Amino acid sequence: MEDNQPVARELLALNHLKTGYAVGRKQIVITAAITATIYSGEFIAVLGPNGAGKSTLLKTILGHLKPLHGKIEWQNKPTDQMSARQMAGCMAAVLTDKIDDRYLTAYHVVSTGRYPYGSLTGKLTPYDRQTIDEAMTATGVETLASRKFYSLSDGEKQKTMIARAIAQQTPLICLDEPTAFIDSPGKVSLMRLLKKLTVEHQKSILLTTHDSELAMQFADKLWLLGNQDFQSGLPQTMIKEGHINRLFDQADVAFNPLTLRFESK
Amino acid sequence: MFRNIIWLVIIVLLFAANLWFGSVPLQWDEVLSILQGQITGNSVAEIIVLQFRLPQATTAMAVGVALSVAGLLLQTTFANPLAGPSVLGVSSGASFGVALVLLFGGATGIQLTSADWYYREFTLVAAALAGALAVLSIIVVVSSRIGNSVTVLIIGIMIGYLVNAAVGTLQFYSNSQDLQAYVLWGLGSFSKTTVVQSLLLLASVLLIAAATLFFVKPLNAMLLGESYARSSGFNTRMLNRTFIFISGLFIALGTAFTGPIAFLGLAVPHLARTAYNTSDHRILLPAVMLIGAALSLSCNLIARLPGWDSSLPINAVTSVIGAPIVIWVIVKARSYGR
Repeated sequence: MEDNQPVARELLALNHLKTGYAVGRKQIVITAAITATIYSGEFIAVLGPNGAGKSTLLKTILGHLKPLHGKIEWQNKPTDQMSARQMAGCMAAVLTDKIDDRYLTAYHVVSTGRYPYGSLTGKLTPYDRQTIDEAMTATGVETLASRKFYSLSDGEKQKTMIARAIAQQTPLICLDEPTAFIDSPGKVSLMRLLKKLTVEHQKSILLTTHDSELAMQFADKLWLLGNQDFQSGLPQTMIKEGHINRLFDQADVAFNPLTLRFESK
Repeated sequence: MFRNIIWLVIIVLLFAANLWFGSVPLQWDEVLSILQGQITGNSVAEIIVLQFRLPQATTAMAVGVALSVAGLLLQTTFANPLAGPSVLGVSSGASFGVALVLLFGGATGIQLTSADWYYREFTLVAAALAGALAVLSIIVVVSSRIGNSVTVLIIGIMIGYLVNAAVGTLQFYSNSQDLQAYVLWGLGSFSKTTVVQSLLLLASVLLIAAATLFFVKPLNAMLLGESYARSSGFNTRMLNRTFIFISGLFIALGTAFTGPIAFLGLAVPHLARTAYNTSDHRILLPAVMLIGAALSLSCNLIARLPGWDSSLPINAVTSVIGAPIVIWVIVKARSYGR
């Protein structure tokens, strides 16, 4: 529509990345060697059965786990040479971690998205406040600002954490199972919200999910993780080439490419 | 801000009351003129106020601040409402140092503590500080190798058990006189410091407490858990180490001069959170310092209420006040269905 349609920039490159855990001197490799790139404005869904290493991959990209092999580069800069603060300027996170504190307000939670910037004391500037307000409005939680975070519903908590990620103003947002524990209409509106971020703000989204039908509907690209297996591509391609069936089909359940649903055989 | 000023006024009043009340009744104008440096001619009153009550009140205040801030830092670092100064094993380390000095001589037949009373007191402080810092350095080394702060917490508790076992063995082989001296130390007292010691203690505690104010932002980030703190741009490993070190230093300082003081460090952060209805460290850190000082001065006052011949052990008072607070916190948390 616009003449100066932004050109997709390369943000994150995974180069033969193997992820997993190091237990003592032993390495437990969970994912296959992954080579993939994330461009700006891309909506990527990571799919895979339980235990395929979706969360491990996300945590490794976020720098919470060390890669067992291979490299991660942010715009040609190895991420293991970046400080936590530099990383926080590149990617925001929405995790499955529970927040136990009983006194934090939703507003305070969102405001921690501004911590990578700003002063030593964490005093918010007018620009910080404006950014926080806009982020909370974008996810529809602006009326919850003064509520205690623990008292919110799971869906409201998830939207608050997404507002925090938006307030962090990073090119990439990584989300670990954001649609878990949310009712079906909530799931759709959450995915639509994330899609909107990629279209209107050129943000890149990388999310893991078990809602594969929704993922195929909304994502620009799928990353499929299986047992020592990695495939990536457009959802239609992944379906057409039978990767979905290969990864997910079980003895009595199969993916139907025509209806885009899992059905019993 | 207004509430903080009220707390300051309360602290000043409590401090004055600590100088005024005690087993020997004094007139208030007498106390005032002693403080102003006027010679009252009553040298007994002067000695009571300047040599006993003033260092005692100063120590109570310093230890109240130190243990309360340590408790808050530990509760935030370990994301555990029941973390407190006693869990890291640091106060057990202090006890071990003191037990060595008081009990080792009796247990082995070697007379170590032959010097006069003042010299022995100094040895006790040095031994407690050495013991506390020894355990603290073990904890810091462990925490630099193990990233998981809960593991560090458990190791701290285990070190506490090991040290207590050593103390128990020393107790078993020592004579009853030394044993009594050790038990008395363990009951805690704010009256073991000299004027100079108490002022040095207060100055160093306030200095470290002021330094913690620089960590308001990372502390707040850690309320969301370690992973989120990381994603907010903080090196959580380094922060964990820093907070464990600072709180360990506080506990070492506090315990060395007074013996282990129960519940103060555990209870005050909960009181502050409830009173101010927040967990924002920008508000909480000053609040914890003020409430810690006030509660500690109150406990010291209750321990020496007029009418009692001698003072109660300070640990008895802090436990009677602190334990119900902790119970109330647990019950309150449960009633929210957790």
